[in-house]
Amino acid sequence: MGLTYSKLARRLVSISLVIALVPLYIFGAAIYYYLNSVQEKAHIEALRTLAMNRTNAIGLFLAERTGMLEVLAETSSLEQLSDPHNLERILELLNRRSRSFLDVGIIDGQGLQLAYVGPYALEHRDYSEASWFQQTKMRGVYTSDVFLGYRGVPHFVVSLKKGNRPDSWILRATIDSEIFTKLVRSAQLGPSGDSYILNREGLYQTPPRFGGDILDKSDLDPNSAPRGITVAARTTPDGRRLLSAYSWLPKEDWLLVIEDEGGPHSLTRNVVLSILGLGTVVIVLSILMLVRLMTKRLEAQDKRRAAIDAQLAHSARLVSLGRMAAGVAHEINNPLAAIGEMAGLMEDLMDEAVNGSPHAALFRENVMKIQHHVDRARSVTHRLLGFARRMEPHWDKVNVNKIISEAYSFLEKEAGFRRIEVTLDLDPDLPLLKSDQSQLQQVILNLIDNALDAVDDGGHVRVESRLDKDRILVRVSDDGHGVPKDIQDRIFDPFFTTKAPGEGVGLGLSISHSITQKLGGDLMLESEPGNGAAFTVHLPLVAD
Amino acid sequence: MAPISVLVVDDEVDFLTSIVHRLKLRKIEAYGAPSGDEALVFLKNRAVDVVVLDVKMPGLDGLAVLQHIKENAPEIEVIVLTGHASVESSLEGMKLGAFEYIIKPVRLDELMTRIVAAYERAVERRTDRHAAGP
Repeated sequence: MGLTYSKLARRLVSISLVIALVPLYIFGAAIYYYLNSVQEKAHIEALRTLAMNRTNAIGLFLAERTGMLEVLAETSSLEQLSDPHNLERILELLNRRSRSFLDVGIIDGQGLQLAYVGPYALEHRDYSEASWFQQTKMRGVYTSDVFLGYRGVPHFVVSLKKGNRPDSWILRATIDSEIFTKLVRSAQLGPSGDSYILNREGLYQTPPRFGGDILDKSDLDPNSAPRGITVAARTTPDGRRLLSAYSWLPKEDWLLVIEDEGGPHSLTRNVVLSILGLGTVVIVLSILMLVRLMTKRLEAQDKRRAAIDAQLAHSARLVSLGRMAAGVAHEINNPLAAIGEMAGLMEDLMDEAVNGSPHAALFRENVMKIQHHVDRARSVTHRLLGFARRMEPHWDKVNVNKIISEAYSFLEKEAGFRRIEVTLDLDPDLPLLKSDQSQLQQVILNLIDNALDAVDDGGHVRVESRLDKDRILVRVSDDGHGVPKDIQDRIFDPFFTTKAPGEGVGLGLSISHSITQKLGGDLMLESEPGNGAAFTVHLPLVAD
Repeated sequence: MAPISVLVVDDEVDFLTSIVHRLKLRKIEAYGAPSGDEALVFLKNRAVDVVVLDVKMPGLDGLAVLQHIKENAPEIEVIVLTGHASVESSLEGMKLGAFEYIIKPVRLDELMTRIVAAYERAVERRTDRHAAGP
């Protein structure tokens, strides 16, 4: 591919890529943002629903546990509950259905633990100063925040007061942190999601999965969360974008926080990126193939056009040369005629004018030479005029084999005289051809004449005719010296000749070429220097 | 038998003089006219059998002279002899009734053959006309 076509191809590829890819990327971006927005809305709704369900579940869990303790306090006396054996059996009963109580204790009105069943040694401990004890005495039923207490382990308790002063006592149970944490974390969404509870001070009441532990201070301010359930986006200090659902539990001091990755969904991103990538590859490959195909066709078309232009230029050159030749011939013919006639007159008068002169023979010889050269010049000008003539072909149905035979008959004697073997290999089944008989005869006569000139005495010339699809081919070949490569492209030019001066003016092949083209055909040369030459006339079978 | 009378019309004086002389040497009653106008003047005063006529001449050109002859003396046969041959002018000449259209230069022997043929045609015509006479 030429430099111009490569440049054109590059430009076409660039423009096509911009035209095809820019809309694709804009469309991809729009789809991406639309899907993201739809997905985020769905995500927010899912978080809201989850927060609501979890809030209800945790509220129900705590209410159930409180209720169980209330039933126990209502149905049992202080004496019964203060018996460690009874209390142990009661703890076992409470955990039978689902293990959720870690321990249980009975505390009198002064804060002294009367009985305790659980994994820690907390019998006879004094809780009079404990916040949960005071709150329980004040409120009657109380669920504490998480605290360390005597055991030094984070936990929270559900407690209720029974009886009135001074005989009041408190039933207190510790909720199993592991069970409760599992319950809270069951709200967690995916691998990057989290779910935990904060108290009003922002301390973790259940451990978060990322960046903190129970009783640590969170970077969230629970007091800024409105009542009910809200969902909002936030960015963590480490730069992650999170969607967070906030829901106050019925206990009112605790805020349930459910968080999930809020950024673009990786599946959406991957799908969109895959479509864009695949689309880009398909578009780029298609454009490259199309542009390659287009430039190849364009190049071929340009080559064809250049060939036609060259042919037209050649024809135009022939026409102008023809006109010039005609002009030259016209201008020469008149003085030539005068010279001829004057020489003729001299010849006519020779006998009486120079008789007796010692130079009479020389005069006569020279006058005859003048006549001879006038004849030579006349043949040249007449051929020039023949070349210049642009007569329209006279179309008729012609028998090509007959034309070949007739043309050969003109030259048969010359061939015989020079012992040249001429072979006529004519296809007897040739159809009639619509053409101009006399012009075609001129072409074939010319080609056979040239072939005879090209071979030495005793050489071979072969004339063939055959049908080739929709055309008739006439091939005149010889075993002469061939046409040298460097002159093959000039062989059909007017006045181009390889013959000796005086033997040819170089118009025969040019006229033949011109006539063949005028008849809608073509004249081709094949020649390997030293191995003869073959001229083939291609004649199309013109439909009626 | 009366000799064949020929008028040669050509503006090339050297050619004209020589050919007239040579025709005379061949027992032809030959005359020369160096232009179309002079040829018509000549023909007004004298009849000839054949006119040998050039085409391109200053003043009245050969085709106009031919037309004039064919209109006024159709029994005269005209041979067009010119160096300025073109398909159009030859067709025009033949249409106007020229006996022959020959390109210069031509051997006098060839020209003589045509002149004799033209003369025979002229005689033939005259005979026909007399036979069909009043």
